[in-house]
Amino acid sequence: MTAVIQAALNGAMMGAMYGLTALGLTLIFGVMKVVNFAHGSLLMVGMFSAYWLIRLTGIHPYLALVIVPPVLFVFGYYLQNVVIKPVFKAEGQVREPLTVIIVTTGVWYVLDNLALMLFGAEYRTVRTAISNKSFALGEFIISIPKFSGFVVAIATAIGLALFMRKTKTGKALRATSLDREAANLMGIDQYRIYNIAFGLGTAIAGIAGCVLIPFYYVYPSVGVVFDIRAFIIVVLGGLGSIPGALLGGLVIGLIESVFSQFMASTWTEAIIYAIFLIILFVKPSGFFGHKQDW
Amino acid sequence: MSRKQLDRILLAVVALAAFGLPLVVTSPTYLQILILLFFYAYLTTAWNLVGGFAGVLPLGHSVFVGIGAYTSSILTLQYGVSPWIGMLVGGAIAAVIGVIIGLPTFRMRGAYFCLCTIAFAEGIRVMVENIDTLGPLKINGPRGLLVPLLKDPTFWDYQFMSKLPYYYIILVLLILVLAFTWFISRSKVGYYLAAGGEEPEAAAALGINVANYKLFAMALSCFLTALAGTFYAQLMLYFYPKGLMGLDLSFEIAFIALIGGRGTIAGPVIGALLLRPLNEFTRIYLSDMLPGLHLVIFGLILILVMIYLPKGLTAPLSALYDRLARKITVQGEAK
Repeated sequence: MTAVIQAALNGAMMGAMYGLTALGLTLIFGVMKVVNFAHGSLLMVGMFSAYWLIRLTGIHPYLALVIVPPVLFVFGYYLQNVVIKPVFKAEGQVREPLTVIIVTTGVWYVLDNLALMLFGAEYRTVRTAISNKSFALGEFIISIPKFSGFVVAIATAIGLALFMRKTKTGKALRATSLDREAANLMGIDQYRIYNIAFGLGTAIAGIAGCVLIPFYYVYPSVGVVFDIRAFIIVVLGGLGSIPGALLGGLVIGLIESVFSQFMASTWTEAIIYAIFLIILFVKPSGFFGHKQDW
Repeated sequence: MSRKQLDRILLAVVALAAFGLPLVVTSPTYLQILILLFFYAYLTTAWNLVGGFAGVLPLGHSVFVGIGAYTSSILTLQYGVSPWIGMLVGGAIAAVIGVIIGLPTFRMRGAYFCLCTIAFAEGIRVMVENIDTLGPLKINGPRGLLVPLLKDPTFWDYQFMSKLPYYYIILVLLILVLAFTWFISRSKVGYYLAAGGEEPEAAAALGINVANYKLFAMALSCFLTALAGTFYAQLMLYFYPKGLMGLDLSFEIAFIALIGGRGTIAGPVIGALLLRPLNEFTRIYLSDMLPGLHLVIFGLILILVMIYLPKGLTAPLSALYDRLARKITVQGEAK
């Protein structure tokens, strides 16, 4: 039993990382109605940024949290503005433009393989001051970097939810996500909101990159692992839902770690897909999804 | 000369060239590249029935290639059934599975369908990789299946000593699926599909059962895709889940269709003609210098085509052909 609880604790902490990745994805989908296939690659960019920053300057890993996300916000803002916006304009007012999905796939290919050209395929880690630290909670051992990741993930979700409710920009984001045309008529510049949404999603991927780097490997295709998980999580939680993304992440993390106590870990992947499909059949809008979004 | 005659002449020339090509290309290596090119064109045309005409984006079609390959190979290896029959059985299984995926997802928005096809395909791939034997069936997990080389294969064995028969089999399959697509696009079903793909609500308001027509297209597309799986198994005589059922193949099919021109008849062929050789040559010549460069190029082409030609390469090409055709037919009439 102890082993199972320990696994559940680890699973919840890893799940929070999946949830954090899914958070950016769900934000971008909610506003733009586009599944961002480049999201895992953006996480990879965040991880490599944090990796090089810590490696080259030797700063404390969590100091990177102040530097990397703003840089990634700018990166995402201009990525959407330069690469994705023209396709949106060409497609006009289609609700879910499929060509945009394909462009994000192109961005994924370009980013992942640029990283491969620049950094090579090897797995890299940074040994930081906190990498191997842990504390005891009763008879269970909690790794400090994973726990901080968990805390940061929840703080980010709460911060994002507050931002969406309380600020003017947040309200504009929500208005655009509800009704693009009506928001436009109210004087909200649709494409600027898209830039901001994409920038924020990328910044969240940057946050995830910073908290992952003390305990996780980084390599050019690291995003794919998180990508597929994040897709499942956002459908599980309801496309566009912030609490849904976090909860979905926790569920996936728990399933992954608890089931791997009882069977080969390769089977847990199949179980995740099976649960995903069952949810899709039974309640396609997910835990917190809006009915109109499916 | 009228426009119709010109179209027919052009079609005849292309068909003749395709049938006569092995007279010029005798090297097995190049013949293999051509076979794979047609193989991709065939797969993309089959994909196009759903992805193009029904207006959704399936990104897990490789799983049906896998179903075709596994069904016919297991039937041949363990029960001695000819791959030709196994091919049809595999197609039928794929069609049923396609309907099962389509039933819940076609009533939802596009993004759900897209993610669901990925999850389904990956789920099946992971399962196949984890299963060694399923009841009496030997699946062999991640190692894949080896179709043994026969000493004196007959036509019934779907195995040939030279590449030439494979070339003609895939060519005939491609022509059949193209003719079929042409037929569907001119039929009522084709119009219903197009209407349901662009404006599902409006089409439903006109009394079209959009989901049912999409299901029909999905079943057909999965059936045809699985046939190609058997062809691949018999051509390569070896396949494994990651290579055959992975996301890479699914995505490549979609890319070829989108770059060529989604929802057009020539699009998949034009896309395959352009992307396959590009893919092969950049991989051979560039990946030694800089690993990954060929995929960066691939991604950039994808982005540029989507930005500047969102309807794919077929649109400007057919506009060009229209202009040329008008010139030729006008000159012909002046004479």
